[in-house]
Parts: sequence; C-alpha cells; structure tokens
Amino acid sequence: MKRLQLQRWSSSVLSPRVRTGSRLQHHLYTGLRCQSTFSPVPQAENEPLTHEQPPVSPIPSPNSQKSKYTLPSPPVEAARESAKLAALHARLYLPSRLPLETLARSLVDASADPNSNFNNASLATLGHDLLTYYTSEHLICTYPRLPMAVVFAAMYAYVGPKTLAAMTREWGVEHAATPGGEVDPGFLQFKRIDPGTEIGEGQVNGTTRPNDHRRWRVSMSSRVVYDNEFGEPVQDPTKNDGLPRPLPQGVTAEQASANFVRAVMGSIYLHAGRPAAKRFFEQHFLSRHLSLTELFDFSQPARDLSRLCARESFEPPVAKIISETGRKSRHPVFVVGIYSGEDKLGEGAGASLLEARSRAAVAALKGWYLYSPLNVRVPSSTEEESSAPWKPVHVDLGEVIV
Amino acid sequence: MAAVIVSPKRPFLTLPFLLPSLSESVAVESRRNQSSYRRTKQRLRVKPDSSFGASSDQSQEQIIYNPPSSAPSVYHTPTKFLPADDIRRTLRTDASTDSHNTKELPPVFKSTSEKKYHLNQSDIEEIRRLRLSDPMTWSRWKLAKRFDCSPMFIAMVCEASPQKKEIQRQVLEAVQSRWGTKRRMAREDRQLRKESWGRDE
Repeated sequence: MKRLQLQRWSSSVLSPRVRTGSRLQHHLYTGLRCQSTFSPVPQAENEPLTHEQPPVSPIPSPNSQKSKYTLPSPPVEAARESAKLAALHARLYLPSRLPLETLARSLVDASADPNSNFNNASLATLGHDLLTYYTSEHLICTYPRLPMAVVFAAMYAYVGPKTLAAMTREWGVEHAATPGGEVDPGFLQFKRIDPGTEIGEGQVNGTTRPNDHRRWRVSMSSRVVYDNEFGEPVQDPTKNDGLPRPLPQGVTAEQASANFVRAVMGSIYLHAGRPAAKRFFEQHFLSRHLSLTELFDFSQPARDLSRLCARESFEPPVAKIISETGRKSRHPVFVVGIYSGEDKLGEGAGASLLEARSRAAVAALKGWYLYSPLNVRVPSSTEEESSAPWKPVHVDLGEVIV
Repeated sequence: MAAVIVSPKRPFLTLPFLLPSLSESVAVESRRNQSSYRRTKQRLRVKPDSSFGASSDQSQEQIIYNPPSSAPSVYHTPTKFLPADDIRRTLRTDASTDSHNTKELPPVFKSTSEKKYHLNQSDIEEIRRLRLSDPMTWSRWKLAKRFDCSPMFIAMVCEASPQKKEIQRQVLEAVQSRWGTKRRMAREDRQLRKESWGRDE
C-alpha cells in the first residue's frame, strides 16, 4: 500500500504559478467588463421590483392597454410575449406540446381570477390526484411493510404543500405582488391574505368526520378512511361549526405555489400524455432524496419486536453483547445484537446496556419495516400498451399492534 | 589515538542513581532524530492488511470488499425477515453471515425468565383483594414476590386504589420539591435522551 504523497499535492494546490494565473484571469475579466458597452447588471436588480410593483407587460398595444387593467389576470395572448414564461418552459424542460398559454394559466391562482376558465383550479385538482397516486403507489410497492404513520409522513414529504412551495422557489418562479391583467404572465399570481389574518394551521373546525363534535380519539385506521392523503383532517365546507366564519379572501404563498406545481403536473398530463407526466414526476419528485429511516419513532421498541416475533412465529428475540469497551469507565460503549435463534435481527451501540439494546431493537424493527422487494413495479406501469402483464406485489400483514 | 578518559573522583558503579539519567539523555537524543523526514516515512510504512491487494495465488481479477467497521444498514433486511418467496433467501449463504459464534455471546440480561403461567383465577382474586385491602403493605413488588410473578403482571391484573394513587403522587411531589435546578435538568435531559433512542438519533 502506498501512502498519499502529501508533498506533491500541496505543491500543486499552493504553487505560486496557479495563484498568479488566477490573478491574471481576474485582471482580464475586469478589463473585459470595462471595455464592454453594456453596464453590468446588478444581481438584485429586479428583487425590489417584484415586491413593490410588478413590471408592466412588454407588449404596449395602445388600444388594449386600458382594458388590460380591468382584467383580473393577464390575457391569453400575452403568454407568447413573456420572456419569463418562455424561460420557465425551457428551464423545466417541459414537452413542446405543452403550450405557453397553458403554462401561463397554471400560474394564475383561483384567488386571483375566480373564472374557472382562466385559473388553475381544475388543472391543480387533476395534478394533485396524479401526484398523490404516483407517490402512494411508489411508496407502497417499494416498501410494502411501512406503517401507516410513516406512509403519511412520506407522502407529505414528497408532495406536501411545503415541498411544492420549495420546488416553486427552486424553479425560479417569482410571485406577483398583486394579480392583474397588466402583470407579466411569468409571475405566480394570487391574492395574498391580509396581514394579521389568523391561519388555522393544524386545527380544523368542521371536518368531514362523523361525530366530529364529540372530539373522539383519532385512530390511525380512521385517518385512512376519513382524512386526506397526508392523514390530516379535511375541512367540510357545509359544516361551519355554528360559527359564522367569513371565507378567506386570499391564499398564502405556500398554497398558491403548491397549486401551481400541481397545475403544471396536470397540464403536462393533459397536453403531453401519461408517459410524459410520469417522466416529469420521476425527474422532479421521486428524484428528491427522502431518508425514510428518519421518519420512524418507536416508544417501546423491545416490546414491539417481541410482539412481532411472536406474530411471525420466530424464536423470541434475545439481546446479546457482541462487544464492549470501558464497562467501568465514564464512557463505556456496548454493542448489542438482537438474535432470534441463530439469526441476528439488529445491532446497536450505546453508552449503556439498555440503550444499546433499545437501539438494536429499533434497528431490527426498521429492518423489518423497510423491506423492499427486488424489481419493483408499480400498477401504473401497466397502463401503457405492450407492457408486461401485472404480477401481484408483496402485500404484508400490517404493522405490529401491541 | 587513545581516548582521553577523565577519571571521575568516584566510579559510576558506586553511584547507581546516575545511570537512569544517562539513559534518559540518550533517549532524548534519539527522539530528536526521529522527526526526520526519512525516519517518519519509514515508520509509517506499515504492512497492509491481507485483504488488501491481489493475493499471490489468484491471478485473475477479483473484487476487494473491505468495508470500514460501522453499524449495519437498516435497508439490508435480515434473512429471517425476508418473505418466503424472496430470492435473496437462497442467495445468502452461511459464509455471508457471522453466525458461527452466536452461542458463545454473553446475554445482556443474566436470567431469561421463562413464563410459568402458574397463577389461576383464585390467585388473581387474592391479589386484587390484598392490594385493595392494604395497599401500603401489599405493594406491587411485595405481591410479586409472594405470588412468584413479575410486578408487571400485578399491574396487569389489578390497579391501585385512588387513595393510594393520591398518596403516591404526594410522595413524589414531596421528593421532587427537594430537587434543585441541576438535578431537575439532569433528569429531564435523561428523559429526552431516552426518547431519542426510539428515533435513532
């Protein structure tokens, strides 16, 4: 084995020749900038513009200028003229069959333009259904043993509103300060809620659950039945809990951004078809890294593991010390493995025997829940013609219930 | 040329305390020489592990798999947890698992309690009666010792009376009221650490 020659490395990194070269380049660049006729564009130039006043659409047609101000959202023909929209279309590598007009429509929230022919509400509904369908089938087919709470959390992490709002920022979509017909259609347009308005986040007053007023304990099975795809209670528009609550006049930026991403998904599905929509989903949503191991939280892992072994008729789990160091010292380390018969189920290290055993049980339970079959196929892969016939995926008994 | 030896007034052998200091001075000298580039390089040239590099008897290409010691990944499902129709069950051989010394490993807990199931309905009635009649005498531990079962089992079959619970709560409050800031925070931290085990942090 040869050791790294540190001397050679450091010489190449720190050689004076390289440093002078970079200085030379710097001089060259500054020279170029001085010679160019264009003034250098400061980076934060359009930042205050977008927040204080939206730039006027670049097509100054004098006869339509007055009517533009009366429109709630930009006219359809303005989409062809917007550089922002074309840039967004190219940046997302959207299929050419998706016209710029539809992309402009997906940027108009229902709070900006209540006319359903011009806002993105219908596209967002379709896109939301597609996103949740693709995500749930991916999760359930890839990890067939996931507990329901983890499935809900993973769904929220993949296609929840916070993630979609973050994606909107990553795509470089800016918000218009106020929607209107004169606004560049490349901005996300929505009516903001008034400052100081209470946003009932986390608690919903009137839900679609029966016996909602009794405040019954919400079990996981009832969340599957009554609640939405993220396991959150659904607001029932017919019920208002006896309180006359005025409908909110605007939406938050997060809701508007989420609706925009969903609408893009829906419009790709409508214009470019199913394969393109799936490809877009895989490239933009499934490619995001989600560490599923961090979504677990066990309160009594050892008890759960012994229940699991009893259910699956394995030998009862026994914790054994694999190695240890410094038992009588201030910082001991124990490595404990949990064995069922001859097989090791999990391994954990900790500063005490109890901690190590608990961590080993957590590792064993995660090993059980995070089982993933080989060659995973999802049901939607059979939608295309000339695809292989569907073979049933692994279906598990369900999570451990103590 | 003859070496000039300055004879000391007393010979070395009669002064043995001089000898260790003499050897120490030699060690200091050699330690200074260790810092030379060539010697450092020579000392750091360790023999590589046998699993590194190609062994002499195998001339064809091979895969070297020598992972650093770390906790096993949870995505690597144990063989016992694989479903019956999974192909990985047959692919994993005995060589890939280290089950050769499972028997010799010491258990974490000294005695594994075999469940006896020796209490019948009348015993359970007796447990309930005793615990309700004199809760101060018949605590869970004492009942467990008398009936040869675990305190957990006592908690499963009966519950303490509300008066006893109230007394116990007051005792706990009295104890906790004597805690200072340090002890209280240490106990809270311990609880938080315990909760983090389940999240695997």
